[in-house]
Amino acid sequence: MAFFYQASVQRIGTVLALWRNVRVQRFIMQAAFAALVVIAAYVLIDNLTSDLAQLDLEAFPFVELSGSFPFIDVTQDFLKQRAGFDISETSFGLEYSANDGYGDAYLIGLANTVRVAVIGIFLATILGVVAGVARLSNNWLVSRVAMVYVETFRNVPLLVQLIFWYTVVFLKLPKITEGANLFDLAFISNRAIALPWANPTGAFGFWLLLLVVALVAATAVRAFRSRREDKTGKPSHPWWWAFGAFLAIAIVTFFATGSPLEFDRPELAERAYIGGLQITPEFTALLVGLVVYTGTFIAEIVRGSILAIQKGQTEAAAALGLNGFQRLRFVIMPQAMRIMIPPLTNQYLNLTKNSSLAVAVAFKDLFDIGRVTINQTGQAVPIIALVMLTYLAMSLIISLIMNIINSRLRVGTQ
Amino acid sequence: MALTAGPPLPAPLSVRRIRIWARENLFGSFSNTALTVVISLILWVVIFGAGPLIDIASGSWPDHLLGNGILRFVFDGAQWEVITANRRLIFVGRLPSEETWRIWVVLFIISGLAGLSWGLWSSIGRRLAVMLAIGLVPVFLFMAEGESALLTAGTVGVFALGYVIARMLLAPGSYRGMARNLLVVSWLLSFPITMYLLSAGDNVDSLNWGGLLLTMILAVVGIVASFPLALLLALGRASSFPVIRLFCVGYIELIRGVPLITLLFMAKFILPLMVAQEGDVSLLGVRLLEMNDIVRAMAAITIFSSAYLAEIIRGGLQAVPRGQVEAAQALGLGTTRILAFIVLPQALRAVIPAIVGQLIALFKDTSLVLIVGLTELLSVARQVTAQADFIGTQAEALLFIALVYWIVAFSMSRASQQLERTLGVGER
Repeated sequence: MAFFYQASVQRIGTVLALWRNVRVQRFIMQAAFAALVVIAAYVLIDNLTSDLAQLDLEAFPFVELSGSFPFIDVTQDFLKQRAGFDISETSFGLEYSANDGYGDAYLIGLANTVRVAVIGIFLATILGVVAGVARLSNNWLVSRVAMVYVETFRNVPLLVQLIFWYTVVFLKLPKITEGANLFDLAFISNRAIALPWANPTGAFGFWLLLLVVALVAATAVRAFRSRREDKTGKPSHPWWWAFGAFLAIAIVTFFATGSPLEFDRPELAERAYIGGLQITPEFTALLVGLVVYTGTFIAEIVRGSILAIQKGQTEAAAALGLNGFQRLRFVIMPQAMRIMIPPLTNQYLNLTKNSSLAVAVAFKDLFDIGRVTINQTGQAVPIIALVMLTYLAMSLIISLIMNIINSRLRVGTQ
Repeated sequence: MALTAGPPLPAPLSVRRIRIWARENLFGSFSNTALTVVISLILWVVIFGAGPLIDIASGSWPDHLLGNGILRFVFDGAQWEVITANRRLIFVGRLPSEETWRIWVVLFIISGLAGLSWGLWSSIGRRLAVMLAIGLVPVFLFMAEGESALLTAGTVGVFALGYVIARMLLAPGSYRGMARNLLVVSWLLSFPITMYLLSAGDNVDSLNWGGLLLTMILAVVGIVASFPLALLLALGRASSFPVIRLFCVGYIELIRGVPLITLLFMAKFILPLMVAQEGDVSLLGVRLLEMNDIVRAMAAITIFSSAYLAEIIRGGLQAVPRGQVEAAQALGLGTTRILAFIVLPQALRAVIPAIVGQLIALFKDTSLVLIVGLTELLSVARQVTAQADFIGTQAEALLFIALVYWIVAFSMSRASQQLERTLGVGER
């Protein structure tokens, strides 16, 4: 938005002095500004490189300008050096040992960050929507509990909450020998929360492919049933039909491919759990902290968006005989969603960036790995630059996805 | 005239009325009743503990918060001595005790101004007053010792006095407009006065700041120092000069895309290599400030905050109708004058509540300086639980500072909501 665009008006025939010409003025102003920025950057970087030279370090050891495309050659000498530290927790089945390089350790940290961010965004959205809707509930107890939740957790710093969840709640759980045992199916102790899980076998990939087919089939069934509903006016339950179709195909192919998933129950051995899904207290604390904190902000967004929908909409829906859930699902939410998306994007970005506070609960995320690497190698400049770029890239990806969702929601409406 | 009906009086409380209320609000339908029961159960577990439930799962949770419940913990199990014994450390850090008067002077000034402003711009509802009073009870309990109890009461008293005076000034035919202008100026002046009081002296040094004091200073300095920068960035982003616009957009989006903690790390590890290491920083022979960890953290917070504040101010600039600028141009005003007299007054007025919101966010975010080794409130809470006498009291320390954070953040957010209503943002 340009406030003060001054058109360069020149009367034909008159010759303006050069410094009176608006275009020249604009050019000089911007050139001066650019020069100032360049000089400042030069002084800072010059200081930096000379100081680093004294410390016998290079500013950007793994990036070398080269003549060939893409001009930046990532020489991996530094990132290939043996890291020498252990990482207690990895994601997505990635493997790592202390003999791997700093680059590998960094990727493990990145995977951990992505895992906690993705699961966190998913759970925070659910919690936020539930709390936001609950705050508007006509059940007095429900709306009050939702209000107390939002007002309490929103006004206390996330870091305080994270440390609380970690040191007071999850680390203080009973020792593994005295931990809770839920019907030999799940275990809770300060070592881990162990849950039954399903492990993929060899046929898993093929079954996943069949599931995609099932999804396509279910979409077709839904379209077919809803067309029937439109034509005949009889309720045809398109969603139930689609869900049923998907489930039927999934179950049939599950047995046809010879069980692609294997039930895996955790067992309590001497001083460890074996098998199952084991969630560490570090991960749990970070996840719970992020979800509970971000959930409050999402709840406020949801509440605000619902309140922004005109009251007449609810009344009209009630007059049509829709019940509370139907009013929310078919009338209010579709409209509120459109208001919600941009502020939600901000909260997702915040959650992802806030996951860097993992350092306070000893969860090995990308920032923490970076911190350890700086401590070991002293390469602060390249590591901080790399960490910042990674977060920037993640922010960009989230914004991109949310923009796509946003434009999808707009299609075919007002 | 004499028979104007007041607000309807609440009907007398009776069992029947309670039953009707409960049926309407708790047990309206089957699903409503189910919800009420489930929520009550969860509340029961949080407040009174899940002891019996957990016994079923054969765990042993004798001293876990979840097993005992919040209520038993707070009134029975907790060792609150960790707070009372470390009161000074938690509130002001390592400031020498003979210099404590400086804090009280600052507190009196701030609470007096706060009381005056609250009275002049809006009113405190009865509910808010009750809530503030309840929030102050635990603070008072922990301060209740000799002169600090008196001084705490004094602070509250000054606030109340300011409020009452302000309400009197609101009476018709008095000096409301003048008082408001005067108050704005006083707020602006209070910042340098505070900083002077807290840093000028033989024994007072920024390195002595700690606890809540440091938290507050970091947040306020973050907002105040980033404001001019943010104003320039916002104007730059709205400018018609492509080079300047590009620079501002790049700066804002870069900073908003990375976590604050990476900036704090940059300030800790890279800034000393770029500008100055420990010692005095002077420009053209004038000693500006002494470089240390706290100043570097302030720099990082300022850089961070300016990007967010710039976006807030940009929102305000966009809210100024175009016609205002065009009308001013038609009157023959130049760019600078249009900005100073037409655009900025309207834009900034519209974003005051959002700026308070940013102050709250920053106040909470200052807890991150713990990670670069500064002793703000959260960091002090961790230190005191490492003392030999108080091992294992993390729950007490964390709950107490959480309460402190909560009181400050909550009252500020309520104040900003009030302000929003009084300023009539979005109503014009």
